[in-house]
Amino acid sequence: MKRSILAALGLATGLALPAAAEDIKVGLLLPFSGVYASLGGEIETGFNLGLADFATDAGVTFEIVREDTEVSPPVGLAKTRKLILQDEVDVLVGIVSSGVLGAVRDFVDGAGVPLIVANAGNDEATGVACSPYITRMSFSNGQVNRPMGTWMAEQGIGKVFTLAPDYAAGRQMIEAFAETYTAAGGEIVGQEYTPFQKTQDFGPYLAQASASGADAVFVFYAGGEAIAFVKQYDSFGLNETLPLYGSGFLTSPLYVNAQGEAAEGVITALHYAPTIESDANQAFVAAYVAETGRVPSEFAVQGYDAARALVEAVQSGATDRDSLANALRQVNFDGPRGALRIDPATNNVIQPIYVYETVAGENGLTQRVIAQLPAEADPVNGCVMAPVSN
Amino acid sequence: MAHDLGFWVLQALNALQLSMLLFLLSIGLTVIFGLMHFVNLAHGSLYAMGAYVAASLAAVGGYWMGFFLAPVAVAGVGVLLYSGLIRRMRRAGPMAQVLVTFGLIFALLDLTRIIWGDLALAIDVPASLSGRLTLLGIEYPVYRLFIIALGVAIFATLAFVLGRTQIGAMIRAGVDNDCMAACLGINVERLFFIVFCVGCGLAGLSGAVAAPLLSVTPDMGLQILIPTLIVIVIGGLGSLRGAIAGSLIYGFVQTFGAVLAPQLASVLIYALLAAVLVIKPVGLFPAKG
Amino acid sequence: MFRHTTLRYATLALLLAGALFQALTAGYFGLEILTEILILAMLVLALDIVAGFGGMVSLCHGALMGVGAYAFTILSTSAGIAPPIAMGGAVALSGAIAWIIGAICSRSHGIYFIMATLAFGQMAYSYVFEAPIFGGDDGLSGIRRLDLSLIGLNLNDSRTFALFCLVLLGAVYGAAVLILRSGLGRSFSGVMHNEQRMRALGLTVWRVKADVFGLSGMIAGLAGTLAAQHIMYISPGLLTWTVSGEALVVVILGGLGTLVGPLVGAAAFVVLKHEISGITPYWHLAVGLILIGVVMSRSNGIFGWIEKRWGARLDRRLADATRSQDQKEVTTDA
Repeated sequence: MKRSILAALGLATGLALPAAAEDIKVGLLLPFSGVYASLGGEIETGFNLGLADFATDAGVTFEIVREDTEVSPPVGLAKTRKLILQDEVDVLVGIVSSGVLGAVRDFVDGAGVPLIVANAGNDEATGVACSPYITRMSFSNGQVNRPMGTWMAEQGIGKVFTLAPDYAAGRQMIEAFAETYTAAGGEIVGQEYTPFQKTQDFGPYLAQASASGADAVFVFYAGGEAIAFVKQYDSFGLNETLPLYGSGFLTSPLYVNAQGEAAEGVITALHYAPTIESDANQAFVAAYVAETGRVPSEFAVQGYDAARALVEAVQSGATDRDSLANALRQVNFDGPRGALRIDPATNNVIQPIYVYETVAGENGLTQRVIAQLPAEADPVNGCVMAPVSN
Repeated sequence: MAHDLGFWVLQALNALQLSMLLFLLSIGLTVIFGLMHFVNLAHGSLYAMGAYVAASLAAVGGYWMGFFLAPVAVAGVGVLLYSGLIRRMRRAGPMAQVLVTFGLIFALLDLTRIIWGDLALAIDVPASLSGRLTLLGIEYPVYRLFIIALGVAIFATLAFVLGRTQIGAMIRAGVDNDCMAACLGINVERLFFIVFCVGCGLAGLSGAVAAPLLSVTPDMGLQILIPTLIVIVIGGLGSLRGAIAGSLIYGFVQTFGAVLAPQLASVLIYALLAAVLVIKPVGLFPAKG
Repeated sequence: MFRHTTLRYATLALLLAGALFQALTAGYFGLEILTEILILAMLVLALDIVAGFGGMVSLCHGALMGVGAYAFTILSTSAGIAPPIAMGGAVALSGAIAWIIGAICSRSHGIYFIMATLAFGQMAYSYVFEAPIFGGDDGLSGIRRLDLSLIGLNLNDSRTFALFCLVLLGAVYGAAVLILRSGLGRSFSGVMHNEQRMRALGLTVWRVKADVFGLSGMIAGLAGTLAAQHIMYISPGLLTWTVSGEALVVVILGGLGTLVGPLVGAAAFVVLKHEISGITPYWHLAVGLILIGVVMSRSNGIFGWIEKRWGARLDRRLADATRSQDQKEVTTDA
């Protein structure tokens, strides 16, 4: 529990400019056990890489206290209380599951501690439940799917069948897609939600999709379910007759290789793909591969950018909880994902969305970026909070 | 939505395929329970281990190496578990058994994470079983047909062994009354050992078979545990007939529930389980009355 | 029937002293842990009543706790009912649901009973997960704690809340002892030992089982209302079968059918989990090995082991001491 790692990264510059040397205590809240353990690992690696890349000239020492939230809201809240009350951290980073975010939201908001969300995507967190202290550097469920609806309709795909697991994120992703897709003239010919983490066999749903007369299938699945879904989709031969589209988590670089050839040709949209052509991204990918031997996933870049946002906020002169929260809302930079900025109306990140196809590459599967869809701010969704103060 | 006949044939095959997968998994568990009165909650973890071993071996020597060796490896784990733990637990009562197998679930879960990591493993369907077959006017994946055939074959083999051979007669005697069987000179202890290892091997086999179809992740064992328990409780503990009946009921209810009443899909099977237990408190085909 | 032995009194006193010491001196995280232990202890007490004294090994107590938590939340937030009344309503509701489950499952035994309760628990889970008024997977927030400012207490303070939970746990423990010593509780134990004989004696077996299961459900529901107030947020995860499974493990780990043992088990389990999860992400492995080790020691959990080792000796020594003064016999239940 008391395993705090002293990241004495700012030491060199700290010596040169002793007056500016400060201690920022960071509480890292991630799942290191349970079903999201691999995501926790990715985000942490990305975050540490981000600190190593940017914190060296911040003139500040970042001390990290890491805690395992598992996938349990009560555990997450207990750890959050501990970090805030006992360790007295200046800022919190992390949170993978939306359930944990929901559990800690009121406490973080009440305690006035800035929280940089590095994954959890439920729309409410930057909607009705928004807080000036909670800034999201990852994505919102609606944000990653809305542009895809318009794009697919523009490609001339007239009828779509949708599938997703039956839980909040699944419904938000599909609803956001359906909204823009039908607005752009597309037709949803069928919509099914499969019991979340209880579905072993997608066969029954796939048969319905293929009998629905749709031109394409749009789905959201993640993790183990995504692997099983893509493989079963391919085994029925649907890839040839009914192209598969989806939210990019379906073919995340984190587990796309477990899907193998079945994932080839699947077209998905997400806020990041490791093959984005930019100097910032290439540098990040190279550093990540050197560190882990794997290509970074969207989770890794979320951790990386969370670190960068934190450093930028500190560099802008923020030193305590309140000023950090305020500075985080004004962060903007060009990162691996392209130009990012925080929308001060909701505190959600505004970022471009990439449509990419999973294709065979030299070492396993890789991503071919087809289109970059413009960055759009999320609708305010009932978010009311104090404006940024200067 | 109106569907043609082909659609329903396809769904029936899906149901059959899911049933057979669950049958492979539940038969080992139910016979172990019937014979030894031992609730092995860690059966799902052995299934996960089978999938992991199969995936690792498949990466080296192809699918069939995993298919044949994973059951052997998991049966080997069964030997270790039996001699290290289970034998001493035989007379310890159901509560101690629940605790020890719960402990095993925890321990095996983390062991798979330590050995294989948190990331999902890849395993592909072998070339000979990939592709699709046209059958009754519909196309169906060969691998799924293979699972159905394998399930039927295992069922036939077990029906033969249990019904027609001497060792089968001994097992049936043991399930019926182990003390009496011991009095008749049957080495019940050895029988237990054999049945436990074969049960573990079958769990490993179902893991190896399921791996290309599902995802190989650390929590796969925990996810399959409840369906397996539902199958054996609906069917009635300890009997082959119960395991096959329970599997078929589960498979068909899940599959057709998903098509006909999707909003009830997740509750349907539990409601059925409750209904069965209210009407027949020991399941449909218990080994003894 | 349940009896207090000297050792049980001593352990209770020790636990109480430990909890009080922790409540008065611990830092924030220590208080979190303590409250977690107290709420878990209440749940496992409920489970021990039915499992340890009536053989009704339930895998739906997590769900019953969840019912209490959700009922309290809905009543006190959306329905706008005063929190104390909402608490009462939630407890009554989870008791009623438990009574029905107990009545339906009363004919099943052993693994079949376990599975039947699991089925009902999972049904409740699926319902809560999917019904829109319960907030689905995102859960519900905005829960307020009981307002006890009339008697000068502020439950929003972690320390006061921990003490509040401790007081309630003490009351629940007393109630549990009363239940088990009552005619109902004795019939209940009788049913576990010989159901046919009890039936022959004219007892309506299913009623006895349902009644005690209902009472146990009320305690689980109370634990749920406290859990909701502690976290001030609830999610369907509260109702999953693994929560029930963990509660069962804690009961067996502590000592089935001893009432005191499960309290020890709850403290041991929570502390172990937190300590080990701070050292390694592979805490499941360590906890699993410890569980196996406890079983291999061939005793009825931690407390069973203590009783076997010291209980008889302690009682004998006390018996010797009292016998020298008068001839009164000391009963033992070791």
